[in-house]
Amino acid sequence: MKPLRPTLRDSFRYVAFTLSSEQPVRTRDLQTGISDAAKSLFGDVGVSKLGIKVVMFDGTKGLVRCRYQHASELQATFASIGKIENNRVRVTVVGTSGTIKAAIEKYLQIDEKIRRIISSCVTVPVSGKAVRMRGKEIDIIPEEKEIVDRADVQFIGITIDDNERLI
Amino acid sequence: MMPDYVDISVHAFPEGADTPKRLNLVAKSLGFTAIGLIAHSPYWSQFSDSNTISGIEIVAHSVRDLRKKIAFFSDTAGVICVHGGDEQINRAACSDDRVDLLMHPERGKRSGLNQVTAKIAQKNGVALGLSFGYFWKKGQVARSRVLAFQHQNVILCRKFGVPIVITSDAYSHFDLRAPRQLKALARLLPLEDEEATAALSSAPQNVIKRSTKKEEQRV
Repeated sequence: MKPLRPTLRDSFRYVAFTLSSEQPVRTRDLQTGISDAAKSLFGDVGVSKLGIKVVMFDGTKGLVRCRYQHASELQATFASIGKIENNRVRVTVVGTSGTIKAAIEKYLQIDEKIRRIISSCVTVPVSGKAVRMRGKEIDIIPEEKEIVDRADVQFIGITIDDNERLI
Repeated sequence: MMPDYVDISVHAFPEGADTPKRLNLVAKSLGFTAIGLIAHSPYWSQFSDSNTISGIEIVAHSVRDLRKKIAFFSDTAGVICVHGGDEQINRAACSDDRVDLLMHPERGKRSGLNQVTAKIAQKNGVALGLSFGYFWKKGQVARSRVLAFQHQNVILCRKFGVPIVITSDAYSHFDLRAPRQLKALARLLPLEDEEATAALSSAPQNVIKRSTKKEEQRV
């Protein structure tokens, strides 16, 4: 079949994002999560207009394509994603660009802070086990589950300044 | 120039799952200038150092209880918010000029506001707190219901000049959202770009200024 002329093709925007999650997220689960969230917000007709497609995703950052006029709706979709496969996530938009190359060069050249797996008992601010460290951020699995259940998360989040013994 | 964005209702440890420092760290990376740490009244006593907390969200089961709690906390807490939901409590909160913010009045079976309540709120300088946390916390049915109620409340507030404040009502850093994402959600309600920006910057700053002024008057 003869390809469409460039003037007749849709123009797209490429939205770069970062993903914070409790557990690693697979690309396929992310695709389903975005699609479900968009369907829930805008319905089938709305999703068909958005033209969403995950272009790339490396576990912590990625690129999603959408139709030119609908970048704002994609931002709203990202904001409405709270869980993917029962795993708490936060998808944050870093920037929007007209080409994949520009989006990668501008927004995805961030030096990702490496997540270190640690194992250390803590008592401040709560007694439990510190299990992950990323930059200044530390995640603790508490002995008492009441607080994490209330917030619907797995970890208590602290920083190095909260517990200097862990440095 | 980018406005100074403030998320005025964030719940920190031990009520929420993250310490104030962690929440501040994440909020700054998302683009907020400051966050307001608010504790629900049942958890107020668990905060050993009340100076770290910017205000209280009063949870009351009756109008009488609400008045008693407002009288008690207006001497000790900074920003006074009321946990809305019940229509009588919403109205009582709007009638009291010591209250700064009525949070999520739509949590009951109706939108929680009408023209009378909106007029009283405007007269007493009480702002409406639009909590967007339900977008990522609630199921589809509850979400569409709350969205419809919020839509109605925004129209009422616009008509009667009640200030609107957008918050994420976060219990952990996973609940925080960047200001431009909150603005994108606000556009789904009938909020214009400028209104959404004001609801995330000047309106929460005014609430904080108002409460600071009241504190100075007390001293």
